Amino acid sequence: MPDQGRLTEDQVTHTIPTLSPLYPPPPWKLPGARMLRIVFETDKEPLLANLPAKLTRSSPPYAVVSIESYSDSPVGPFAMATQLIGCRAGFFIRAFALQTVVNSVPAMAALREVWGIPAKQGKVGLSVKKTKVRGSVSRDGELAAVELIGREPIAPDLCRIDPTLALRLAPSLQQDTRHDLIQLVQLDPEYNISQSYRGRGSVSFSSSSEADAWDILPSRNVISAVYCELDTELPLARFVMPY
Amino acid sequence: MKFGIFHELSVGKPWTAESESTVYFNALEQVELADELGFDQTWAVEHHFLEEYSHCSAPEVFLAAAAVRTKRIHLGHGVMMVLPPFNHPIRCAERAAALDIISGGRLEFGTGRSATWTELGGYRCEPDETKNMWDEAVRAIPKMWTQDTYAHKGKYFSMPERPVLPKPYQKPHPPIWVAVSSPETAIQAAERGIGCLGVSIGTPGEYEKRVQDYRRVVKGCEPVGEFVNEQVNGVTFLYVDETDEEAGTWGTKLAYQFAYLAAHLIGISSVYPSTAYKTPGLLFGLRAGTEERAPGGGGVIREGMGIGSPQTVIKNLKMWEEIGVDRMVFIINTAEVVPQKKVLNSLRLFAEHVMPAFDRDPQAERATAASSTAGA
Repeated sequence: MPDQGRLTEDQVTHTIPTLSPLYPPPPWKLPGARMLRIVFETDKEPLLANLPAKLTRSSPPYAVVSIESYSDSPVGPFAMATQLIGCRAGFFIRAFALQTVVNSVPAMAALREVWGIPAKQGKVGLSVKKTKVRGSVSRDGELAAVELIGREPIAPDLCRIDPTLALRLAPSLQQDTRHDLIQLVQLDPEYNISQSYRGRGSVSFSSSSEADAWDILPSRNVISAVYCELDTELPLARFVMPY
Repeated sequence: MKFGIFHELSVGKPWTAESESTVYFNALEQVELADELGFDQTWAVEHHFLEEYSHCSAPEVFLAAAAVRTKRIHLGHGVMMVLPPFNHPIRCAERAAALDIISGGRLEFGTGRSATWTELGGYRCEPDETKNMWDEAVRAIPKMWTQDTYAHKGKYFSMPERPVLPKPYQKPHPPIWVAVSSPETAIQAAERGIGCLGVSIGTPGEYEKRVQDYRRVVKGCEPVGEFVNEQVNGVTFLYVDETDEEAGTWGTKLAYQFAYLAAHLIGISSVYPSTAYKTPGLLFGLRAGTEERAPGGGGVIREGMGIGSPQTVIKNLKMWEEIGVDRMVFIINTAEVVPQKKVLNSLRLFAEHVMPAFDRDPQAERATAASSTAGA
C-alpha cells in the first residue's frame, strides 16, 4: 500500500502556497492610515456598463477615486488607489470597486483573492502638505491624479465612507463554465477617524490603454474632496450575495 | 385634526410620451375629488432633476391648475425653494401672491432649501450656505407682501426700493411654513413663528419630541411674518380599502416604491461633508423600515401609517392626534403603482369613514392664521 499524504483539509493553510502563504487571513488591522477621497459626477452609460446587474445607479451618476496609504499592515506598508462606482443595493448606498492599483505584491494578491478587490500592481502616491493633498496612480505611465486644495478641518463625523461592494471571482477550469465562484461581497470596515479635512477637489485622468482605462468614468463635476487620518481595517465580509 | 394630500408627481420608468401628462392629470383629478370630499389641503413639492422620484419642478403651475378646478381646498407649496440660486425671493413673493389671488386666498406658503446634491449641485448652490439663504429669504418675503415698497441689502440678495406686486389676497399674508426633516429645523421653525411642515416619513414616536420642542419654543418666538402660524403637519402614506389585507397589498406597494425611488436620490450628507446637513433628512430614514418586504411585493406597514381598513386607519391616525399634530398630509400614490381608480376609492373611503372620527372644527385648532395676532 503506497503511503498517503498527511495534509488534510483542516490542515491546509487559508491560501496558497501552503508552505508559506503570501499574506495572513482576514481581518487585517490597518492603524495609522491616510485616505484622500474625491467624489465626482460622471457619465451614465459607461457607469452602467460596468455596474453589476443587481445594483442600480443614483441620479446623477457619480464615482469616487480613493487613494489610501497604510503605514502598518500584516504585509507591511502599502498604498492603494481604487476607482469606485457610487450605486445603490436595494435601498442602500454603496460603492462598487471597479479597479484598483496597489504597490505591494502580497497586498495585491490578498486584495484580489480574499476580498475581490480588482487590484493590479503599480505605483500609488499620496502627498500631504499644509494646504494641499495630492494623490497619483500609475502603471506604465500616469493613470489618474487627484487633488484636494485649500484644506480646512471638519468634524470627523461629517465624513461618510460608504460600504464597498466587490466582485469575488474564481475562474473555472471546466469547459463551458466561466466561473466556479461569482459573488458580490460587502466590505464595511470600522473607520476611526482622528483628523479630517475637506477642500476643493480636482480629478484628472491620463489617456490610458484599454488595460488600465481609468478614464472610462470621466469627471464631469467634482462633488467633494475629503482627506482623513484614521485607523481602519480590511474586514471579514458583512454581506454576501450571489451575482 | 385636518387632512391633506401631497404630490411629488413621481413618474416611473419606462417613460412614454404620455407618462408625465398622465401623472399630472391623475393628480389633478385626485385634487378635485379631495376638494369635493372635504380634505383641507393639497400640497405640491418643488424638486428639480429628481428623475422618477419627482417631476414637479414648477409647482406654481400645478397649483394654479388645481386652484381653478377647486373651490375650498387649500393649496400648499410643500415647499417652494426660496434660495436665490433657485428662485429669487422677489419671484417667490410675486408668484405666491398671484396664486393666493387666483385661489381666492387659499395658499399655504411652505418654504425650504433642498436636501439633495442632485438639486443643489445642479443649481450651483453651496450646501453650507442654504440655511442662511433660507433665513434671509423667509424674513424678507413677508415684508415684500405687507409693505407698500421694499428694499433689501443682504448677504445673498439685494434690491433697491420697489413695490413688490401683487399683494396676497389673504391679509396680512398666507400662513408660512418650513419643511422640517430634523429636530434642529423644528426648533428654527418655532423660533420664527412659522409652521412645522414635516416632510420626513416617521412614526408618531419619532415625531413626539419634535412636536414638544416646537410647542415649547414657539411660545417665545419672534415671528418673521405678521402672525404666528403655530401648526404642526405630519406626513405619511394613505391607502384605505375595505379590509386590512387588501389595503396592505396596495398600500405597501405604494410605500415601498416611494422609499425605493427616494433611496436613489443623493442626499447631501452622503457625498458632501457639511455642518448644514448633519442628518440624512428628507425620506432617507424610511429605507430601513421598508427594506423588509411583505408578501405580495410590498414593503412593511410602520406605526402610524394610513394603510388599512377604515378602522385601522382611524386607530393609526389617533396616534398622531395624541402627540399633538394638527394636520396629517398623505402621499396617496407613487409612480402610479396604485391604479387611479383605487386611489380615488381610497380617498372616498377615507372621507366617508375616517374623517368623521376626528374633530375637524376650525375652532379646535390651536392657532390659525386667521385667529392669531401679530407677535402672539
